Amino acid sequence: MDKKKNSVVTSAAAASVAAQPLENADALIDSVETFIFDCDGVIWKGDSLIEGVPETLELLRAKGKRLVFVTNNSTKSRKQYGKKFETLGLSVNEEEIFASSFAAAAYLQSIDFPKDKKIYVIGEEGILIELELAGFSYLGGPEDGGKKIELKPGYLMEHDKDVGAVVVGFDRYFNYYKVQYGTLCVRENPGCLFLATNRDAVTHLTDAQEWAGGGSMVGALVGSTQREPLVVGKPSTFMMDYLANKFGITKSQICMVGDRLDTDILFGQNGGCKTLLVLSGVTSLSMLQNPNNSIQPDFYTNKISDFLSLKAANV
Amino acid sequence: MGDQKSTTNPCHHLSPTNVRDLFDSLDAFVFDCDGVIWKGDTLIDGVPQTLEMLRSKGKKLVFVTNNSMKSRRQYAQKFQSLGIPVTEEEIFSSSFAAAMYLKVNKFPPEKKVYVIGGEGILEELKLAGFTGIGGPEDGKKNVQLKANTLFEHDKSVGAVVVGLDPHINYYKLQYGTLCIRENPGCIFIATNRDATGNMTDLQEWPGAGCMVAAVCGSTDKEPIVVGKPSTFLMDFLQKKYNIPTSKMCMVGDRLDTDILFGQNAGCTTLLVLSGVTSQSTLQDPSNHIQPDYYTNQISDILDLMT
Repeated sequence: MDKKKNSVVTSAAAASVAAQPLENADALIDSVETFIFDCDGVIWKGDSLIEGVPETLELLRAKGKRLVFVTNNSTKSRKQYGKKFETLGLSVNEEEIFASSFAAAAYLQSIDFPKDKKIYVIGEEGILIELELAGFSYLGGPEDGGKKIELKPGYLMEHDKDVGAVVVGFDRYFNYYKVQYGTLCVRENPGCLFLATNRDAVTHLTDAQEWAGGGSMVGALVGSTQREPLVVGKPSTFMMDYLANKFGITKSQICMVGDRLDTDILFGQNGGCKTLLVLSGVTSLSMLQNPNNSIQPDFYTNKISDFLSLKAANV
Repeated sequence: MGDQKSTTNPCHHLSPTNVRDLFDSLDAFVFDCDGVIWKGDTLIDGVPQTLEMLRSKGKKLVFVTNNSMKSRRQYAQKFQSLGIPVTEEEIFSSSFAAAMYLKVNKFPPEKKVYVIGGEGILEELKLAGFTGIGGPEDGKKNVQLKANTLFEHDKSVGAVVVGLDPHINYYKLQYGTLCIRENPGCIFIATNRDATGNMTDLQEWPGAGCMVAAVCGSTDKEPIVVGKPSTFLMDFLQKKYNIPTSKMCMVGDRLDTDILFGQNAGCTTLLVLSGVTSQSTLQDPSNHIQPDYYTNQISDILDLMT
């Protein structure tokens, strides 16, 4: 019960070499085919675009680089994220976006989850939309946020015996009803899967502060079921394997760019990619350089638009 | 988790041949409540008569519950409403444990305590001279996720206490998370970490272990656990009763809290199958916690002795 969250082992070589400040951006850009970007803290903060992002993405596209966006945020579907990019003036295709809501549905498809079984969702709309698009039936989601329970004699909570998987992600409508429903399914429905979109401790839902993240809701279910979930979002390599397969990319030809060490950078390292940490999100230079931190990306820089300025200044 | 008794000692089924020796060797019976005395608000049958018999034979009765929803005083009221005479001083709840932990560790009374849990914790904190905020009324609060709205939290909160909370919501998780992550030196206390419990007579429900793990998940911190299996409360029991733990029998329905608590403290342990643990769970090869004895329910003690 005291187990720390599911973190995959870092590559030994990377852990021993300190991250280098990015100086020769061109060399990095030329050495890879694909850039995978995290979103919160890299492209935007809350609903505000980080400066220099549009020009940077344009530069990379002009150089023929493939761009992919991988976010652990499961509140929106890929299509809804596409709209967000559009609103911010960025031209990004829905097929280039991989949110953990999509990952949950893609995972269930990859294991041929039976279409006659149901999925109980503790999470938001993004997960429901992706499950529906993939042809699955679901229960739960935001509307269970309004359900109340009464702990009194004779009260019994029933649960659907056809639920074959419980998917847990960030849920601002989290409540005891959902925890009990999910717990009953996991404990009592034979073979019921327990999936987590992600386990981020905190997330920047608004640009002003941190908010308790999906790690909280997932933690609650781990506490009541005493089972560990299968995590489909970063740092698990599921999404990496999926897109490498889909686009036919070699992982060593990828550079993962993110602001969080224990999800983005670990994700990149676990996948065998190059890794670039940006300091425009949750991680500061002192956190990177703290002796307690064992996750060292290949490079670090302030923000992705440094590709433009460093390019001009390169030796 | 402390010293455990050897797991090679077999667990004995309580029977007419061993019950008398067990009984005579003990001065006190320490009972868990949920799944032992009651299930939710429904008394388990044979309990009043069994407790009466034990008292009449001069045995001391103590009740140690991990359920932090009520204070000791509120538990005494619950016992009385179910027709069982038990005084406040005989009850040691994890709500009481949380307040005592802060007292023993000289928590400054000018600092506040944020509570994710029930009335019981707030009442015990007040009795101990501390200021508790949060609790049940935060169950009605919603969260605004808008660009220009800041979620504020009291910077004078020096401890967050998390226990069973059927009114858990995102507001409380966020509040507790901010206190632990941003208030320097803020302590994270868990009343207990039971995964489930018999909150009603018909089924199990998620326990405090759920709410505690939720806060662990957003803070990446492990809490100080004051309830079973931690033996923190044992000091208070011993001060009151002055009985060596070797003369106590811990009676409970959960292996990883009640039985482990008893073993860690050096008591004899008796598992009852009237709560969350079945015989198959007890005997499953993956289970490494073996009580000294097991039986169906506590009234078996009465039945086997007569």
